[in-house]
Amino acid sequence: MDPLLLARLQFATTTSIHFLFVVVTLGLVTLLVGLQTAGFVTGKPVYERLTRFWGQLYVINYVLGIATGIVMEFQFGLNWSGLSRYVGNVFGAPLAIETLVAFFLESTFLGMWIFGWHRLRRGVHLALLWGVALTAYASAFWIMVANAWLQHPVGYEVRDGVAHLTDFGALLTNPTLGFAFGHVVSAALVTGGMLMAAVSAWHLIRRTPDFALFRKSLRLGLITAALAVTTLQGFGFAQFAPVGELQPTKFGGGADRDALVADWTARFGPGDYTPPVLSNVGLGFMIMIGFTLGCVWFLLPLLWRDWLIRLKFPLWLVLLAVPLPFVAVILGWIAREVGRQPWVAYGLLPTGQAVSPVSPGLMLTSLIGFSLLLGTLAVTNWVLLARHAARGAHDPALGRPPAPDTDHHPHPVFA
Amino acid sequence: MELAWYALLGLFFATYLVLGGYDYGVGLLLARGATPQARRAALNAVGPFFLGNEVWLVAAVGILFGAFPALEGELLSGSYPAVLGALFGVVLVTAGVQLRGRPRSAAARAGWDRVVVAGSVLAALGWGALLGALLQGVPPSGDGHGAGAGHLFTPFVAAAALALLALVAVHGATFLTLRLPAADVPSVARLARGLVPAALTAVATVAVLGLLSDRVRAAVARPAVAVLLPLALVAALLVARAALRRGRAGVAFAATSVALALPVPLVGAALWPRVLVATADPGASLTVADAAASGPTLALLGWLALPLVPALLGFQAMCWWVFRGRTDGRAPVYW
Repeated sequence: MDPLLLARLQFATTTSIHFLFVVVTLGLVTLLVGLQTAGFVTGKPVYERLTRFWGQLYVINYVLGIATGIVMEFQFGLNWSGLSRYVGNVFGAPLAIETLVAFFLESTFLGMWIFGWHRLRRGVHLALLWGVALTAYASAFWIMVANAWLQHPVGYEVRDGVAHLTDFGALLTNPTLGFAFGHVVSAALVTGGMLMAAVSAWHLIRRTPDFALFRKSLRLGLITAALAVTTLQGFGFAQFAPVGELQPTKFGGGADRDALVADWTARFGPGDYTPPVLSNVGLGFMIMIGFTLGCVWFLLPLLWRDWLIRLKFPLWLVLLAVPLPFVAVILGWIAREVGRQPWVAYGLLPTGQAVSPVSPGLMLTSLIGFSLLLGTLAVTNWVLLARHAARGAHDPALGRPPAPDTDHHPHPVFA
Repeated sequence: MELAWYALLGLFFATYLVLGGYDYGVGLLLARGATPQARRAALNAVGPFFLGNEVWLVAAVGILFGAFPALEGELLSGSYPAVLGALFGVVLVTAGVQLRGRPRSAAARAGWDRVVVAGSVLAALGWGALLGALLQGVPPSGDGHGAGAGHLFTPFVAAAALALLALVAVHGATFLTLRLPAADVPSVARLARGLVPAALTAVATVAVLGLLSDRVRAAVARPAVAVLLPLALVAALLVARAALRRGRAGVAFAATSVALALPVPLVGAALWPRVLVATADPGASLTVADAAASGPTLALLGWLALPLVPALLGFQAMCWWVFRGRTDGRAPVYW
């Protein structure tokens, strides 16, 4: 088999699974910051219980985000050594910054947050969650800087066939960066909000205890999703102009595309420079889902006097809508990434030149092994998430007070 | 400039082996048929540090990609099976440790514990194999020449993998003598002492096989440093054993930490100035300077790292300080 195809399949599989978990991470952590801050300011116990319940789901979800993220980071070197050889000087910098500035601190803070309940001062504990959230956003930002560079390479010059960094500022003002970052963050907020609303809706439909608690998180989730879906659509459509100008082959034809293909044919030789049709199909379906999710605005008036809960059928709508944001993020990813084929760095490095000179057998072992491993872990993780979501907010393990009789050390450790 | 970045890369990878090393060591020891309570206690001794430990690996690879892009591609794709095994192990451990406490049934938890054991074995073997492979030379593939994976399968690399496994087991047991409630310490300390002879044998085997291997002798540029490595490991292990016998858990843990950290700087120094050595064609070897990113990239990352690295160390130190001391009934139980 063709190692290039195997390497691309593996990247697509790992990234798709990764994306399904990190959108939830980014969305939920934002809502958690709101909940824990509200608890800190008002001192109401309901916010602490909400933070523990949603925090538990957030932490379970986070596991797969890390597991897939580590595999992705190594995959650049394992399967795409050409990427580091030809463009590593430029593309490696934002990735290195992401691991140091963002991910390293995010996980360190999160470990302290999980084990810091009842041990740290409340202000310190809240600050840790803020740290987790800010570094999560920083992480998304730097990954998008790296990705935007692959979409539209800037700030470099090629010497002896290798790209060298000349202007780091250009990477940050990349026209394919800003709107796309806003779009991804909005998508994460929509996903997190819809998930929160749907789990709450399930409990309200089943009339489990904790009506007040789930009523609160239903409202928070829906309002967040509604606000974010509007910015999601805005950032989405705003990208058409810059992408159409900078990547004429992505979404259709025109004179620009023909000129660019002629230029590439002269520089890189003849070849098929149009992306697979999959990317445009994905885009169409994603836009449809985006409009469907926009209908969440129609549900907001029903929050008045709890008509949403009393009528019950809107709760079912919210529950059934939960797969939509997940399908949409995958389709959006396909539109952006498959749409830039056959380039790994658009107009600079063909995908075929970036693949490692590794034997197909080894590549196939890696593809099958990691797809099975991460696929199994993803399904297991969703089952655990569903079970914990269904169990309710009675007594999550996260933040459970320690046994009182062994308390020889009543003062907070960190002053 | 390249040397500073190479040292920083070494610092992050060595710290990962020390911190991740006790994660995997504790993970390995779950296999010794202890009660469910004892297994839970062992994992909660790692508890608050677990998430902060594996990030050192992610950061090390980030530095590798940012500051040594050529090395990143050549090293990882050139040692494909070793990296694959280690990565599989890291993923299994990360998922197993964090999810094992979520199901309520004892059977499901025992199943996750087996996942953690398997992952710990794979991770330790994989990183040991990678260090061994560096010492016997990972031929760079150059442009389009397939490196293959056959060069990895030698007795020396296998012995290096087993040696790291043994070191990690000693290190994990020693970590538990430092963290578990005082009543549980004597049995773990006995276990740690009992593992030391196995580790000594493994290190001696690597040393002998290394001396006999033509490839290792050709790849090593500084034989004195290479000989120092097994001697230092033996010394550290003997110190750890003596300290465990006297009940000095802190000293013992410091000694096993040294044993896990040392291989990284000493392998780097033994090969310097080369890093990937082509023993068949020395001219094709990759030096550290060749592997480094170009000037502007290193300067940019340098200005960033200058304030950042102290901050990273500070927050990690905060975590160690807050959760210092032995676990007791008050310690939060989450994993």
